[in-house]
Amino acid sequence: MDIHSNVRIGPFEVFYPVQPAASRVRRYGQDHFPGRLFIVEGIDGSGKSTQLSLLHKWLQSKGYGVVFSEWNSSALVKDTTKLGKKKKMLTPATFSLIHATDFADRTERSILPLLKAGAIVLCDRYIYTAFARDVARGMDSDWVRDLYGFAVKPAVAFYFRVPLETAIHRLLGARDGFKFYEAGMDLDLSADPSESFRLFQGRILDEYEKMTPEFGLTVIDATLPVEVQQAQVRQIVNSHLEKASDLRMRS
Amino acid sequence: MRKTYGKLLPGMNLSDLGGKLIVIEGTDGAGRTTQIDLLKPWLEELGHAVLDTGMTRSPLAGEGIRRAKEGNNLGRVTQSLFYATDFVDRLENEIVPALRAGFIVLTDRYIYSLIARAMVRGMDPAWIRSIYSAALKPDAIFYLRLGIDHLVPRVVFSRGFDYWESGMDLYPGHDMYESFCSYQRALLDQFDRLSDEYKFEIVDAAAEPKIVFARLQKKVLGILDSDSRKEYLSHFYADLVAGLPRVEEIRRLQSTLGRATPEPGLASHQVAAGATNGNGKYASNQK
Repeated sequence: MDIHSNVRIGPFEVFYPVQPAASRVRRYGQDHFPGRLFIVEGIDGSGKSTQLSLLHKWLQSKGYGVVFSEWNSSALVKDTTKLGKKKKMLTPATFSLIHATDFADRTERSILPLLKAGAIVLCDRYIYTAFARDVARGMDSDWVRDLYGFAVKPAVAFYFRVPLETAIHRLLGARDGFKFYEAGMDLDLSADPSESFRLFQGRILDEYEKMTPEFGLTVIDATLPVEVQQAQVRQIVNSHLEKASDLRMRS
Repeated sequence: MRKTYGKLLPGMNLSDLGGKLIVIEGTDGAGRTTQIDLLKPWLEELGHAVLDTGMTRSPLAGEGIRRAKEGNNLGRVTQSLFYATDFVDRLENEIVPALRAGFIVLTDRYIYSLIARAMVRGMDPAWIRSIYSAALKPDAIFYLRLGIDHLVPRVVFSRGFDYWESGMDLYPGHDMYESFCSYQRALLDQFDRLSDEYKFEIVDAAAEPKIVFARLQKKVLGILDSDSRKEYLSHFYADLVAGLPRVEEIRRLQSTLGRATPEPGLASHQVAAGATNGNGKYASNQK
C-alpha cells in the first residue's frame, strides 16, 4: 500500500486522502469543500468576538448548520498549554508550537471534517493571530507561516481594525489585570503589566497591518457602531453563501 | 561554530556551545537505549559530563503526549506538532544549556525519527523539514540499523505489539502483525533516505550489543579527538592522569579498538613520557 501519496499538506490548502485505493491525489482548496469557513481577527478590545457572535445567531436563524470554534480550545492539548503558561515554561518557540498543535487538533478533528460535511464554520481567531503574536515575540516570519501550512484557507478573513488606544480604553474596567503571556510579559518590554500589554499589542497591531495586503484580509472599521459593522459583515458573508450550493441546512 | 539546519530560534546564541551533540537513531528495537546505557557511564568514567535525553521526556509536553496517545485519537498533523513542541522544549532547556556547559549530549533519537514518522504519515517533506530547520546540527548521527527480519523478534517477542509502534493509526483494518511490518518497513525506507540526506553513520545493529558498543566507542572517541578544547584540557590532564588508576584500562581499550593515536584527554606529552612494554600494557610514569 502506498501511503506516501495519500496526504499532502501544502501552504493554506489541504490535501487529504480520499480513498486509499485511489491513485490520484485529490486536491481540496477552499472552493472544493461543500462548507464555508469564516474567521475574525483583531487585537483584544476590537470587538471581533461580539461581531462573530451576532453573525452566528443570524446564520442559525436562517437555518444553516453553523459550528463555532475558538482559538486555543483543543481538549487534547489544553492541559499542556495551561501547564506551560502557569509555570511560565514557554519560550517564543514553544509558545508558537503548542498553539500550532492546538490548532492542528481542531483542524483535524472539527474544522476540516465539518467543512467536508457542508457546515459553516466560524473561528474566533485563526492562523493570523499566531502569525501576529509569534512574530511579535521574535519568531521568524517565514518559519511561522510554514508551520501553519496545513491550515484551510478561509472564505473570508475579517480583520477588525481599531486604534490601540481605543482598544485599551474598551478593555479598561472590563477586566481585572492582564495575564503574563497575554501582556507579553515574557518579552521584558516593561515591568508594568499594563505598559507591557500596550507595547506588545502595538507590535501585534503592526503585524496585522502587514498581513492585511499579504493575505487579503477583509478590513472592517471597528470604531463604527456595532450595528453598522454587523450589517457589513452579514452582507459580505451572504454574498459568499449565495454561491455555495452544497451547504447543508439544519433539518 | 555550531550550526542549525537553517533557522535560529530567538535568543539562541550558537557561539559558545562547546560540548558535543551525539545522536543515536534507529527504529524501535534497534537497541538505542541499551547502547546509551553503556555509553553514558563509560564517558563519565573518562571524566566527561554527560546529559542523556530522548523523545517525550520534556517537562512541557511529555505528559501531554502520553495522555494524547492513550486515547488513540491523535491526528497526524497534531501528532507531528506535539512531538515538535516536545523536541524544542528539550532543545532550548536541556540540550543547548548542556552544550554551553561543555557536556556531551547523548540523545536517544533526534529530528530524524520525527521526520521519518511524519513522512510515513503523509506529511509534506518540505513542511516537516521547515519546522526542524531550527534544530542544531549534531557532531555525529549514529544510525543503528536493523532489518525487518531482526526487528520483528526483538520488538514483538520482548514486549508484544504496541498500537503506535505498529502504526495502527495508519493501517486500520489490518491485524497488528501486518500493520507492524508495513509500518516498520515504511519507517526503514524513510531512514535509508534520510541517511543519505543527513549523512548518518550506519552501525549494524544486528550484531551482539557489546560489539555494537565497541564500534560506537571507537566512533565516539574519534569525535572527542576533534574536540577544540583538547589542547587546553591536555594541560590539566598531564597532571591529573598520572594519578588515575583507569589509565591502563583506557589504554587497553584503545589497543583493542586498534587506535594508533593517543586518546583524547590524555595529553600527548603524557603518552610520550610513558612507555609501552612488550605486552602492550601502559607503564605509567607514576612515581
